Amino acid sequence: MPRSTWVTLLVALAGATLLGLALGPVALSPATVWDALFGRGDTNVVAIVQTLRMPRVALGLVIGAGLGMSGAALQGTLRNPLAEPYLLGVSGGAAVGAVVAVALHVNAPSVLPVAAFAGAALAVALVLLVARAAGARGDPRILLMAGVVVGAFANAVIMVLLTGAADDTVRGALWWMMGSLGDATWAGARWVALYTVAGGALLFALSREIELLALGEDPAAALGVDVERATQRAYLAASFLAAVTVAGAGLVGFVGLVVPAIVRGLGARSVRAVIAGSAFAGGTLVVVADIVARTARAPSELPLGAVTAIVGVPFFLSRLRRMR
Amino acid sequence: MLILDDFADSVMVGRPATRIVSLNPVTTEILFAIGAGARVVGRTHFDLYPGAARVVADLGDGMKPNVEAVLGVHPDLVVLYASNVNRGAAERLRHAGIATIALRTDHISDFRRTVRFLARAVGDTSAGNLVADSVEQSLRAVRAMPRPATQPTVFWFIWETPLYTIGRGSYLSELLEIAGASNVFGDLAAASPQVTLEELVRRNPTFILTGPQNAARVRSGAPWKAVPAVRAGRILVVDTTLVGRPGPRLGEAARHLRALILGDTTR
Repeated sequence: MPRSTWVTLLVALAGATLLGLALGPVALSPATVWDALFGRGDTNVVAIVQTLRMPRVALGLVIGAGLGMSGAALQGTLRNPLAEPYLLGVSGGAAVGAVVAVALHVNAPSVLPVAAFAGAALAVALVLLVARAAGARGDPRILLMAGVVVGAFANAVIMVLLTGAADDTVRGALWWMMGSLGDATWAGARWVALYTVAGGALLFALSREIELLALGEDPAAALGVDVERATQRAYLAASFLAAVTVAGAGLVGFVGLVVPAIVRGLGARSVRAVIAGSAFAGGTLVVVADIVARTARAPSELPLGAVTAIVGVPFFLSRLRRMR
Repeated sequence: MLILDDFADSVMVGRPATRIVSLNPVTTEILFAIGAGARVVGRTHFDLYPGAARVVADLGDGMKPNVEAVLGVHPDLVVLYASNVNRGAAERLRHAGIATIALRTDHISDFRRTVRFLARAVGDTSAGNLVADSVEQSLRAVRAMPRPATQPTVFWFIWETPLYTIGRGSYLSELLEIAGASNVFGDLAAASPQVTLEELVRRNPTFILTGPQNAARVRSGAPWKAVPAVRAGRILVVDTTLVGRPGPRLGEAARHLRALILGDTTR
């Protein structure tokens, strides 16, 4: 990937981070925000910037990075530019895992991603099983269709689980299903970051395999790749990252779809470069989307997932038109 | 007798009602207060006051009520909360020949009207006047108490994720004013607007007021540390079962709030 692309991605990331700290429902001048970053000035402003905005932007960066990398890996593995965790039912499965955990009062930020991953893995298994039964494991359209249906099923399961739950669990969970960074804390963001780094490292370790899978099943097999196994490994690693983001911020769709496309558009070619670039671009996109969520209808907040879907769905449709 | 309810439907109420289904905790409480408790044959899941109401048949949560279950207790009058989701049920009940009135019970000013409606329906207007007068009198008494030089501002914390509070459209906002305080989000017209912690920090209320469960969340949640009142420990725990309904205990609720916020009592 050309160096100018990296520079562009980094500048965008830095810009989004600064904007994320500077903008919010309460209007603050850049100078006061700058002072507040270092603990100077009015204590309330310092509290807004340090206690509310900083962990929120940090969480947005890691969630976006996780979603971007997950989408990039899935698109490579499945050779399908429309693949992403939300549309493949992975996020829905993760949400079921997380809701079950919360209902059982297991909601420590260290454990929630693991429970989400259990749900995600189940959804992945289901989607792959359906695709294989349809005799079309290699057909990305079947996979997507199975994914969307498994996602709908996951939604239904969550609704059933919630009817028996206490009122405050229900309302919290419904909001969370729409995605939000509103609950961001340093403690939570740290765990999400830790798991995201682990998942990202795993994807990098698998990136050569994914590179070969991206060539197509037959060429990959000819080059000595166990296609079935390699696909499962990459799929699970990408799902782990997606599950971590679901545990951290709920269902935020379409980031994994849009971001790798942007990164490829900027000139990234190798799978490894697309994954790395998507980590940066994903963080940028989520932080920017969250600025919109926080400020568009202030003092109310929009669900983050609604903002990303409003950007992502037209993008998906335009891509779909070009696919034939 | 013809009654015009809050769906703007006119309802014919003939003889005083003897079997009443009340699907709103406020109207249930009023019916008991005006001495018609024995005639209540159905209530919602949430109508737990007064204690005697608990033995009445529980017919669900009161929104989009199950019409079959209501008909099952053979009422001659059904009282609903005037919410759009209840319109269909009201029509079906009237279709089945049952006098059904939908009443809005959102503001303190709705109270006297609601009491008057119900008192007429059970044929005891003097009991209705008595209850309405005594509630208004106790509200006036609290309002007449000395005001502090600087009025404390209060953030009423209703719900987290997303953060909900009360706005001008809620009777709780009116109660705060009566108790000598002001709602820090009283400029928002909605009854329960969604707000952000950031905006809360900026508005910097004197007190955070909430129920026991939420108070624990405020004390332990990391983001709440951004709010000066939380850092200073100015968290007031309100008796949610007392202030939760704009019913016959409004005066008591105002006194409770006054004592909580300003630390003094009426008597």
